[in-house]
Amino acid sequence: MGIGAQYIDHIVIASNDSAATAKHFSETFDFPIKRTFARPGTGAHMEFAKLDEVVLEFAGPGTVQPYDEVKARMGGFVVAVEDIEKAVAAVRAAGFPCGDPHPAVQPGAKIAGVKSGTGGVPFAFIQYNALPIEEAKA
Amino acid sequence: MKISKIDHIGIVVKDMATGLATYQKHFGFTVDPDKGGDIPAMGFKNAFMPVGETNLEFLQPISEEGPIAQQARDRGEGTYHLSLAVDDVNAAVEHLRSLGIRVGDATGGIAYVSRGASSGVVLQLIQRP
Repeated sequence: MGIGAQYIDHIVIASNDSAATAKHFSETFDFPIKRTFARPGTGAHMEFAKLDEVVLEFAGPGTVQPYDEVKARMGGFVVAVEDIEKAVAAVRAAGFPCGDPHPAVQPGAKIAGVKSGTGGVPFAFIQYNALPIEEAKA
Repeated sequence: MKISKIDHIGIVVKDMATGLATYQKHFGFTVDPDKGGDIPAMGFKNAFMPVGETNLEFLQPISEEGPIAQQARDRGEGTYHLSLAVDDVNAAVEHLRSLGIRVGDATGGIAYVSRGASSGVVLQLIQRP
């Protein structure tokens, strides 16, 4: 069984202050932050850097609470697939729950999370060019 | 310091055969037969699955000592580290130390950045031959 995996699209670094974590990584390891994004309705704040083909996504709360220190950890990763509907169907056929594909933060993309069967690793699929750009922005 | 790409993602598993079978069966990934094996000095064994230009490294403790065994005990299975490919690991270590960042000495082309310098994320620097 295959899901049509193409490559690891992005890796999530979860933080209590994603802006501070992104700035620290950017300055320490000398790569630029390409994009920041506040997800409407979720209160999430994300910043993105790209290293070769893989995006590093720094994700955290939209409103940063007072903290003693910035804390971050590796979250999960997202695999680009050719056809997200087929990937989701394949995982479900193997007996594991998978969320329905829905518009992603990335314009025109759909994403779906795998909810178990990953050995404790948060895992999702993304398909680019799955939606008209206008729909993705809605 | 030039990071050329993300080399791999480390994933701790308690049982290698089960972990690999999970990713083979559920996602169709295949093991790279040319990489991995037992690393007794580090207390773990590993195996790799390529996904595009990046790899998943599966790590199973083979002793009670070492960071992988500790991770498995304290946090169970899951993502462990992010490995960043650099052209020259010794130069990268020197550069980071010049910034006041704590980094271990490079051994076998690999160095680890102190968690205190990465907000808690386990970061590995790797120089491929």
